[in-house]
Amino acid sequence: MGDKVLLGIKNRARVLVFLILLVGFGSILSRLFYLHIIQGKELSERAVDQQLSDTAVSAKRGSIFDRNGNTLASSASVWKVILAPAYFENDKQREYVSEGLANILGISSSDVLEIAKKTDSYYQTVKRRIESDERDKILDFIDEISDRYERLASVIVLEEDYKRYYPYNDFAAAVIGFTGSDGQGLSGIEYQYDSYLTGTPGRIVTENDGWGTAMPFEYQQKEDAKDGNSLVLTIDETIQHFLEKYLKQGIIDYKVAEGAVAICMDVKTGEILGMAVENSFDLNDPYEIADETARKELEKLSGTQKEERTNELLAKQWRNKAISDSYYPGSVFKVITASAALEENAANLNSTYFCSGSLVPYEGEKEIRCHNTAGHGSQNFAEALCNSCNPAFMMIGQSLGPEKYWEYFQSFGFNSRTGIDLPGEATGLFFSPDGSMGPVDLAIGSFGQGVSVTPIEMVTAVSAVANGGYAVKPYIVKQILDADGNVVETTEPVIKRQVISEKTADTMAQIMEKNAAEGTAKNGYVAGYRIAGKTGTSEKIGQSRKAGQTDYIASYCGFAPADDPQIAVLVYFDTPTGEAYYGSQVAAPVFASIMSEICPYLGIEAQYTEEELEYIDTVAETYLSMGVEEAINAAKADGFEPYVCGEGDKVIAQVPQAGSKIPRGGRIVFYTTSDSTKETVRVPDLVGYTVAQVNEVAAEYNINISFSGSVDLDTVYSYAQSIAPNEIVSPGTVVTVYFGNDDVDDTVM
Amino acid sequence: MLQSYTYGDLENFRKKTGIKTPSSDEEEPRRMTSRRRKKFRIFSKGDGLDLTFFLLVIGILIIGLVMMFSASYPYAYNKFGDSYYYIKRQLIFAVLGVAIMFALSYFDYHHLHKFAAPALAVAWLLMIAVLIMPSSGGEDEPKRWLELGLFRIQASEICKFALILFFANWGSIYYAKMKSFKFGVLPGIVVLGVTGLLLYLEPHYSGIVICTLIVAVMLFLSGVPIKFFAIAGGAAAGLVAIMAVTGMLTYAMSRLDGWGQALEYTTPDMWQTTWQTRNSLYAIGSGGIWGLGLGQSRQKYMFLPEPQNDFVFAIVCEELGFIGAAIILILFALLVWRGIDICRRAKDKFGTLLGVGLMAQIGLQVVLNILVITDFLPNTGISLPFFSYGGSSLIMLLAQMGIVMNISRSSVIEKQ
Repeated sequence: MGDKVLLGIKNRARVLVFLILLVGFGSILSRLFYLHIIQGKELSERAVDQQLSDTAVSAKRGSIFDRNGNTLASSASVWKVILAPAYFENDKQREYVSEGLANILGISSSDVLEIAKKTDSYYQTVKRRIESDERDKILDFIDEISDRYERLASVIVLEEDYKRYYPYNDFAAAVIGFTGSDGQGLSGIEYQYDSYLTGTPGRIVTENDGWGTAMPFEYQQKEDAKDGNSLVLTIDETIQHFLEKYLKQGIIDYKVAEGAVAICMDVKTGEILGMAVENSFDLNDPYEIADETARKELEKLSGTQKEERTNELLAKQWRNKAISDSYYPGSVFKVITASAALEENAANLNSTYFCSGSLVPYEGEKEIRCHNTAGHGSQNFAEALCNSCNPAFMMIGQSLGPEKYWEYFQSFGFNSRTGIDLPGEATGLFFSPDGSMGPVDLAIGSFGQGVSVTPIEMVTAVSAVANGGYAVKPYIVKQILDADGNVVETTEPVIKRQVISEKTADTMAQIMEKNAAEGTAKNGYVAGYRIAGKTGTSEKIGQSRKAGQTDYIASYCGFAPADDPQIAVLVYFDTPTGEAYYGSQVAAPVFASIMSEICPYLGIEAQYTEEELEYIDTVAETYLSMGVEEAINAAKADGFEPYVCGEGDKVIAQVPQAGSKIPRGGRIVFYTTSDSTKETVRVPDLVGYTVAQVNEVAAEYNINISFSGSVDLDTVYSYAQSIAPNEIVSPGTVVTVYFGNDDVDDTVM
Repeated sequence: MLQSYTYGDLENFRKKTGIKTPSSDEEEPRRMTSRRRKKFRIFSKGDGLDLTFFLLVIGILIIGLVMMFSASYPYAYNKFGDSYYYIKRQLIFAVLGVAIMFALSYFDYHHLHKFAAPALAVAWLLMIAVLIMPSSGGEDEPKRWLELGLFRIQASEICKFALILFFANWGSIYYAKMKSFKFGVLPGIVVLGVTGLLLYLEPHYSGIVICTLIVAVMLFLSGVPIKFFAIAGGAAAGLVAIMAVTGMLTYAMSRLDGWGQALEYTTPDMWQTTWQTRNSLYAIGSGGIWGLGLGQSRQKYMFLPEPQNDFVFAIVCEELGFIGAAIILILFALLVWRGIDICRRAKDKFGTLLGVGLMAQIGLQVVLNILVITDFLPNTGISLPFFSYGGSSLIMLLAQMGIVMNISRSSVIEKQ
């Protein structure tokens, strides 16, 4: 048999069985052991990862209320439409669902179809933030789909989300701020208090199969979302409204180019009752350029140029000028210099200062002129402030000295942030005495030039004068509420330090009251209220819009009532481009208008002088359906001057109507026949006259005059009227005439 | 080539059938009398079939059916709206297969001598038919199935059996000449060449691998010298290398993509390609030592695609844990061991070669299947005997078990 086979069949079969069992089965068993035992934990974790779906549940963002509970910002449920194209089995289904979605959502069906063709995906966003009406339609559509194609039951998913609503649109925009697409705060309070407002998102963990639907296991863990806290602001919607209304009017009237600020602050607590910043924008659409001229300018641009300019404009419109802009306060700062000088006894009420129209602050320097180039002559301390005399204040500054000036600059809070709870606060700036402050710097700094402050710093410093000498910390969030409306946290007023003594503060208040009534600040006077105030005009050195042109900032800062100050208001116009640009011309009347509304609103009692009593308004009574004689007598008894139109014997109509404003002793016109109601008068031109002259003209034309503004009878002139000349009106109609003077407060170098 | 049969029954068999059978120079007839006495007993120590082997087959079959049902019901529900879709069909095939198994256990395996060459011819014809007939899948899908209306047959299942039968016949006839290249190696190269070409055209690379292993096992058993295997292995490796370089293996290479990297994320496409393997690993790992419990698999809920097919054992591992999986593998090992032991003692070389070949095929498939689902081998279509869904496969398997049982009737093994 030649060479024998190495092994017989049986032995070879034995070798084979050993090979298969030992090598083959041995290796698979050890491989399984490795996967089950050694790598088991990692693998099962990864398996669980894909089997569990972890869905975030958005928390509702807290609301923002004003101090009286008016809603300034709130969130409402919206839904995100998710498509899971992986469920589709054919193009027919894709088209059917795409068309349905497009019809409901008002978007193009080809766009949806494109999404529907992403066959591997379970999560494609079709539309975000749909509201409940669209959501209901989608839910119906989902039912319709599931009836038709069982497999597509979860091809559309709605995810709940929240959308931010600002019911007042551009109201207090700079303060409230807005949120981004993910609901995070981007500016203002929304940004500053984002962590409070956001809340904690919850999650639902469910076990899912490979199709993304729940498995038949009972496993679901739910962690509820914790809704965000709500905020109650110190802002009073009504006061904010007054500020914005008059600021907007002022911007139009004085052709203000670079925006304006008005702040109303509770002087005792530091609560900000209103903070208006114009140019404003719509919080519901913050990315829209609000300024029309800027928008038109933008339309002409294209490409990166347009993009850059858009970003620039957006940054400008979102900027909270009240805290982020620093400016030269001008003469308003004299309040600070004066307070410091009185406190340090560097000056007293009997100090006298002679103004020749200019002063050389330091030997060898250029002379600095006063706004009154003829000179104010000899003045005492109070008169120097009322005259807003620059040479006098240079002298006061000199007697105070650079160290003390710097000390008070700091203690009034100008070189540090006030700490207001808003993002983006800037600080004031001045040369410190250790080295950089020269004598000229001190001289001009004494009347508020060359020293930069923010509006919020200025109003806070003036508040310190008003409240008896205390530097308070301004704040804007009064309370933090939980989701159920319970108070979680209440902000306590913070008094940082005493800056000046109460005595000094009282003296300053008196001087400022005098200034508001008779001095350069009298355009800010409101009849019946004890207003204290100071105007300011400053040059925007190095910040003018064009080289070679001078831009100004006109401001007015004051408080009321002078004997027991409650509120301080700062009005600030950046770059008025009309003929008037002085603080006394531009800011003071707006301040007066604002005060005339805020003071009655806050219940500050009016105290009229006898002179004023003559001119203040009262309310017309009703004389309708009285006999003519009876009406005449009654009107006379009420202190009005009756005037009868027509030959009838009964009053069928009257002007002004009952309940409307009428000057004390004003004319009431009674109509006795229907013909007589057609009688009209033409409104005369009432601008440019004294109070007495206006009265005369009004009597002649048979109309009523309501006086507004300062009634320092000898020096004020009418500068505006509420109904334009030559309008045809009924006799007895009330025309409001605004009085003021065109004295300028100061001028700058 | 004609040699006389020395066993009495074989003499009778030869007279009746005229089939020429080789004689054995190893076995002595031992149990003729008892065999004749208990001719029609199902289980006996004489001519009955081996009870241990029978119980192992039935046990594994039942466990396989239960586990296939568990693995398939969410997938079946999702696909057909009927959780019982697969198990109903598989049960019918199982009943049919067990009937065939019993029938074949009474069918003298020596009859198979005359089917050796025709069976291979039929298998090849079927594989050609598969290539020509319109495929149920798309143009790019492999053509592996013979659509026969109600059911379909995987042609390579027939082929595997045909190869075993062919080489059992060849080896038993030319046992003495197997040391020569002409008888020992050449037929292997020719037969495997044709089979491999047809499988390559389908394409069905795992089929090539299994068929190659089967032929190797058969030739090894038949006494082909070891050196030839080394040479053949080298030649095969060279052939594969040439095909790979010339781009003839693009499909196979694409199946290699992601092999061993199922757990790492590289590209979205790759993540998709390795999806099945990755989820198989997740399932196995989730099972831990004791498993999540029967029916408690999570991975079968649409994470592991087609869990009733090749990857059914991954679900077994998830539900029954390492312990359960190990017990099942030990049952398989016992089955293979017992089957080979029976056939080693078959009374002639044909019985030994045929039976050991059939059992080796099962052992190899189990090992290869588990290596695939554990990402040790690339993901190719190798089903798990008795577990994976598939009518033709199950019936073929049970039929083969019937043949082994028939061999056991005349085996000299100690039967319990």
